[in-house]
Amino acid sequence: MTDPTVAPVLLIALPIVAAAVVLLAGLRWPRSGWPISLVALVLEGGLAAWLASAVFGDSGRLVHELGAYGRPGENEFAVGIELVADALSATMVGLIALIALSVLAVTRRAGPRGVPFYAAYLMLIGGLMGVSLTGDVFNLFVFLEITGIATYTLVASNRSAPAAVAALKYLIVGTTGASLYLLGVGYLLMATGTLNMADLAATLAGEPSFVDGPMYTDPLVLASFAFIATGLFVKAAIFPLHTWQPGAYDEAPDGVTVAISALVSTIGAYAFLRISLSVFTPAFFEATPIVATVIVTVASVSVVAGSALAVMQSRIKRTFAYSSVSQFGLVVLATGIAVHPDAGASAAEAALIGAVIHLVGHAVVKGGLFTAAMGLALDSDARTIDDLAGLGRQSPVLSAAMALLGLTLVGVPPAVGFLGKWYIVIGAMNADLWPVAVVILLSTVLTLAYVARLFEQLYFTPAPSGDEAGAEAPADTSDDHAMAADGGNSADDGTEEHLSDPTPGAPFGVVAVAVGAAILAILLGFAGAEFADALEPFVTEVLGQ
Amino acid sequence: MSTVESLRPLLAVAISTVAIPLIVASYRRPNVRDSISVLTALGKFAIVASMLPAVLNGDEFRWSLGTYAPGVEFALRADPLGMLFALLSSLLWVFTAFYAIGYMRGLDEHSQTRFFAAFAGSLAAAVGIAFAENLLTIFVFYELLSVATYPLVAHDETDEARAAGRKYLLYTFFGGGVLVLGGTALVYVLAGTTTFGATAQGLSTADPTLAKAAFAMLAAGFGIKAGLMPAHSWLPDAMVAPTPVSGLLHAVAVVKAGAFGVARVILDVYGPDVVSDLGVGLPLAAVAAFTLLAASVIALRQDHLKRRLAYSTISQLSYIVLGLSLLGPTAITGGLLHIPAHAFMKLTLFFCAGIIHVETHTDYIPEMDGIGKRMPLTMTAFSIAAAGMAGIPLVAGFVSKWFLLVGAVQVNEAIFAVALLVSGVLNIAYFWPIVYGAFFESPDGADEKPLISGPLGGREGPRNIQLLKPAGSHGSHGESSGMGGALAGSSDGRDDPAPLEDGEYAVDRHPSDHAGDSATENDPAVAAESDDSVDVGDDSAGHDEETIADDHDDHADHAHHGGPGPDGWERRRWTGEESTWLMLGPILAVATGALVLGIVPYEAQFLELVEVIVEGVSA
Amino acid sequence: MTPLVDVLTSRYAYVLFALLLGIGLYMIVSSQNLVKKVIGLNLFQTALFLFFIASAYLAGGQAPIVHHGGKEATYVSPLPQVIVLTAIVVGIAVTAVALALLVRIYAEYGTLEEDVLREVRSDD
Repeated sequence: MTDPTVAPVLLIALPIVAAAVVLLAGLRWPRSGWPISLVALVLEGGLAAWLASAVFGDSGRLVHELGAYGRPGENEFAVGIELVADALSATMVGLIALIALSVLAVTRRAGPRGVPFYAAYLMLIGGLMGVSLTGDVFNLFVFLEITGIATYTLVASNRSAPAAVAALKYLIVGTTGASLYLLGVGYLLMATGTLNMADLAATLAGEPSFVDGPMYTDPLVLASFAFIATGLFVKAAIFPLHTWQPGAYDEAPDGVTVAISALVSTIGAYAFLRISLSVFTPAFFEATPIVATVIVTVASVSVVAGSALAVMQSRIKRTFAYSSVSQFGLVVLATGIAVHPDAGASAAEAALIGAVIHLVGHAVVKGGLFTAAMGLALDSDARTIDDLAGLGRQSPVLSAAMALLGLTLVGVPPAVGFLGKWYIVIGAMNADLWPVAVVILLSTVLTLAYVARLFEQLYFTPAPSGDEAGAEAPADTSDDHAMAADGGNSADDGTEEHLSDPTPGAPFGVVAVAVGAAILAILLGFAGAEFADALEPFVTEVLGQ
Repeated sequence: MSTVESLRPLLAVAISTVAIPLIVASYRRPNVRDSISVLTALGKFAIVASMLPAVLNGDEFRWSLGTYAPGVEFALRADPLGMLFALLSSLLWVFTAFYAIGYMRGLDEHSQTRFFAAFAGSLAAAVGIAFAENLLTIFVFYELLSVATYPLVAHDETDEARAAGRKYLLYTFFGGGVLVLGGTALVYVLAGTTTFGATAQGLSTADPTLAKAAFAMLAAGFGIKAGLMPAHSWLPDAMVAPTPVSGLLHAVAVVKAGAFGVARVILDVYGPDVVSDLGVGLPLAAVAAFTLLAASVIALRQDHLKRRLAYSTISQLSYIVLGLSLLGPTAITGGLLHIPAHAFMKLTLFFCAGIIHVETHTDYIPEMDGIGKRMPLTMTAFSIAAAGMAGIPLVAGFVSKWFLLVGAVQVNEAIFAVALLVSGVLNIAYFWPIVYGAFFESPDGADEKPLISGPLGGREGPRNIQLLKPAGSHGSHGESSGMGGALAGSSDGRDDPAPLEDGEYAVDRHPSDHAGDSATENDPAVAAESDDSVDVGDDSAGHDEETIADDHDDHADHAHHGGPGPDGWERRRWTGEESTWLMLGPILAVATGALVLGIVPYEAQFLELVEVIVEGVSA
Repeated sequence: MTPLVDVLTSRYAYVLFALLLGIGLYMIVSSQNLVKKVIGLNLFQTALFLFFIASAYLAGGQAPIVHHGGKEATYVSPLPQVIVLTAIVVGIAVTAVALALLVRIYAEYGTLEEDVLREVRSDD
């Protein structure tokens, strides 16, 4: 078992098997879901760490051929499905493993719980791992659908009817998106005859002897990219294909929202990044310049529209949901810059690193924000932004976490949100994409527009009167009272202070995860350079022909 | 000249960061908390000051966390220019720390812990800006400064404060997150680095249009915080913050961070030569000159003391930007020297405004007539600082303005020298009435202040001046009560209080706006009488009252109850009876500082530092 | 032969695919009934299956089942067959989840019409 190439298989198989075990054991011991999930996900974390250390260590890119069918000949297509772990997949695997454990902590006491939840949840993790690790475009579809089905059930897992409506809407839109992706895969298969990503890339480039040369301008290939991109944009909730997302995020149980906001759209954006880079490769975009322009334009619109819609929301979860539309727009935008024909080597590299950093950073930040929102909802039943009034005093720790994460989202340095943006904007400027650079810069202010409302409510709006904890009007507080009620500060640095015990509402797991996400978001901001170095071989490989 | 790897720049930043959790943790014990605040301020100043001798000798202290982004280190470096700003901020924080305690306790403010914690955070960010070694690091602290000061601006938790906070965030994030970040990224793209002093080469050979665009973005981005017009309007609104904030942050640390950023851009990112080659100095100088004149003119009509000071700040900050953008060594010296000079003077002025607010709840200039009797020391300090603002010799403002004037003439831009002189006159025009009113007028014996009480654009003919005294007074002082008594005596049996209803409208809802029927409150009968007996003047008086009342409706939301008491200002002695020494001490210390800077600028170290900087730039 | 007739006679599977795809998409978008939306989704997926199978077609090809010691022969491409098998499974799973959700929605609101549903929910 010392060969790390088995890690990808185990990473995918373990949660899926565990899901079955949970289901079966649940028949006999209904409370066994939690311990089994915990064991499975801790093991998963270990495997992820093993894989990451191998990939970022000496082994570099790992390939595992399922069933060991191999290739009939040196230059022939792979027969079986390949699992591929490179720096990008290893990053995603680590992220998924980490967030998977966090969500387990979040839902431990706050729910949802129960056998069906844990089974679906483990399926979700298995699907996500599969998407991250597969080297086969059809296999990617299958794992996308596993992820999707698990998500639909999870959204509806609190058995509330509005959640069922939201889940059904998500199901219809999501499955349509996945089907469009499948259609694109079909076109690719027709054009090339293979489904293996590496083989596809080689065939599209015209390497095998039986093709006449690069096929990039083949209408079949172009149509294929259009379908695949559209399908994945649905999964990543890019405007205007985002319609399923706010409802699903809003109506899903809070704990589930944390998981899907941090992982499910993320995996859609990852898939887009992966297909663009590893299947179509920058050469495709070079040959068809209009494609990159379209991507960049759509993504820019998504950045702006998502923020604008977020500002108009009154519910906290919907605000964050639309914010995701905007942020994934940024990731896709960075991808578009990375493959843009106008982008030189340095621009492409910066944009690609920016895309990965922003993808990871956003997952941490958004997961943390939804966790904090969940905690505040448990503490004070705060569901709308107006409900947040005065909570800076009542739930100081959660409010501080939310404020810090909000600032990270805006892109206040030195946290991770800024770092991604920096790379992306450098990429855009290096590629002479000035309007895009302007959009990225303006996105700061756009994000601020909805994050600032949170601050204002949390810290600078007195709680509505009648609410005993924060009822004092600022003007007539006695000094002592002011001191006692005093607390919470939205200061900017990495220090997290524990002012007082959180009110019994939010369980420890929720608070810990929210605070942990805030700290992680700031630490990641300083780890950017090392991370960029670690990504370097991958970046040069996918970009540097 | 050598660079020493040292933790000291980091310590200078970190000490107040570390203080934040301590301050928050001790929220139940205000004395401990406030001691921490003061000790941190002292410690910060000590650390910064300990680097001063070596920096004056040409050494630099440097600390680096390592690579932050490719080609950019997260590094702090204590160079002369950084020392200037860091020394100033940390020194003045010491005084402000004491003053803030007195102020916050004097007013029984809420959320004091948040206030002090955010204050410490702001100072950490300000010193970080001072010591940042490259544009990206400065941007990091610049954004943190915006975040840390937001809680201070929105401190009041009123609609007005929240609106000011929103505006503040919008302006500063547009300036920082959009313009400065954009400019920084562009400089990085053009020059391949953002380290100060290393970018000029790359920028001079880059595409001039892009280099100009980067300069415009950086100058505008920092200029927003420095209150350059037309992006200045957040500053007067931010005056809803507690006065120590207005004083240290919105006259020293925050706005000067903007001016300091402009200095970094001109001196260290581009260098005067490249700026001059690109031809971008003159437009910036023109904007600065316009700002310093326009803001002075606007200040004339502000009747809220802090708002008037805010416009004065906007005007004075443009002196700095103007000096820098003229690019001559003398002008740069003047501009840089104006950073500490203005800081000392404006901090004194704000401290005075704050202490007046704490002691008498007076915010509006028309209510301050005769206040010199009540607060003699305060108003003396105020007068000294105001004189300095106008550039009167022996106060700090004179020295820097002298350099600016000479510098403007040196680079053959005499028009800017004229602008400076005109602005000096305007300074006198808006500060002198306050000083004059405080010492030479009394609440009931004040002259008309047509600039602030009259309608915009003036009005024909001086009608009913004696009824238009803007200073509020409804006390029964000697003369009028005597008259009232006489009137009451002459109208037996007519003491029906009913007519009071007629006379009640604007006058009684805004008693401080009206000084005419001064006895009404104590004796309704008199009101009735005087209503009848001064029939002739009544119509026009009523009309005027309404005008004034409308004018003052704007700030009715303050619910202020300032102005002199019913007996006018009581007399307090010059021995500090007027307030607590917690506030008076800092005021006098800072005012003394302004004088020291004006009389012996070299001994005060700041001029020496400035000369080291200018030498470094010219070399 | 005109090109249109040519397409209709020789590529009728693809024409059917395009029709089914269009009809399915139209149902998803325009139908107010949630069950019909799900049916539309199924139709949409079926169109895809047809597309894959049609693409694998080879004139005179056998089913790609190679018996022990199989002989040289013409087979249709096996890959799309496998894909369709898998996709059918996925489609069934999705439909099952969709139906479960529909049951839940109907139990709560007593309707599956989207506009009625919107009204009912706005009353809550």
